Amino acid sequence: MKSAVTTVVTAADAAGRFPSSSDIEAVKGSFDRAPERMQAAEKLASSIDNMTAEAVEAVYSKGFYEQANKDKCARDINHYLRLINYCLVTGGTGPLDEWGIAGMREVIRAHVLPTAAYIEAFTYIRDRVSVPGDMGPQAATEFKGLLDYLINALS
Amino acid sequence: MLDAFSRAVVSADAKGAPIGSGELVALRKYVADANKRIDATLAITQNVSCIAADAVAGMVCENTGMTQPGGNCYPTRRMAACLRDGEIILRYISYALLAGDPSILDDRCLNGLRETYLALGVPTANAARAVAIMKAATVAIMTETNSGRKMFKGINSGSGAQCQEIASEAASYFDRVISALS
Repeated sequence: MKSAVTTVVTAADAAGRFPSSSDIEAVKGSFDRAPERMQAAEKLASSIDNMTAEAVEAVYSKGFYEQANKDKCARDINHYLRLINYCLVTGGTGPLDEWGIAGMREVIRAHVLPTAAYIEAFTYIRDRVSVPGDMGPQAATEFKGLLDYLINALS
Repeated sequence: MLDAFSRAVVSADAKGAPIGSGELVALRKYVADANKRIDATLAITQNVSCIAADAVAGMVCENTGMTQPGGNCYPTRRMAACLRDGEIILRYISYALLAGDPSILDDRCLNGLRETYLALGVPTANAARAVAIMKAATVAIMTETNSGRKMFKGINSGSGAQCQEIASEAASYFDRVISALS
């Protein structure tokens, strides 16, 4: 699983050297940003069900998408939000890349699910994050960044 | 290979649940201790050759036959291999310490180590003894309880006594190596 620390350690091991001062700087930088990321992760974990329900409701209430897909959409949005929660914890896009994005297009296409609805739901969630009501500015930046990363991968 | 963060992610994923306040308590502690952890890693990286050479010398002093003809550290080529392995083990322990997780040590160093040593005719009991000396030396340097001067320069001033907890984590990694060898 890729994270700031494992990336540094893998590189050091490939070269057969001890962690250098620049390796340690990189790890320290990741530790320094960790409290904000964890704040975002905590908020997301506690409101993941509400966030999903609200977003899906907002997207499907327009009557533009087939209602039969609503439950599947809710399930998938919840799943992706969980992966974003993991990314916030590790400080990298590893969990999303390995468990969410690899093979995603193929699966969604095979089930004829509307990616447009997903994108709309994630955009809705992104635009609704309130600072500082939900989380601090840095935490919100990290969270929105990951939502954008996912939206890009879906579109 | 995992670190403290990805270890939490893997176990949360097995439950299909997001990482919430409960799991974050331990991770916040890992982050709060970051400076001590970095200092503890520096305590190893700044004293590698000293720790490894002392441990191998200590092992040989306890078994003087090792450097005599027929011994396992004779000729110097084999002694050099021994010193090299000591440094390699320290390197993987420094990685594990930085990551806060022993998986890199297990996967890349200990997996198959005993079998390799048996095949090469390395006496594993002596190797384990050398690792035990490295453990004692590392813990002493980290916690600044070694006799004589302070042996490393950390980024966190006055760190030695505060490194106690991290030093016991490091000791547990040495114990992992010892139990993998025996």
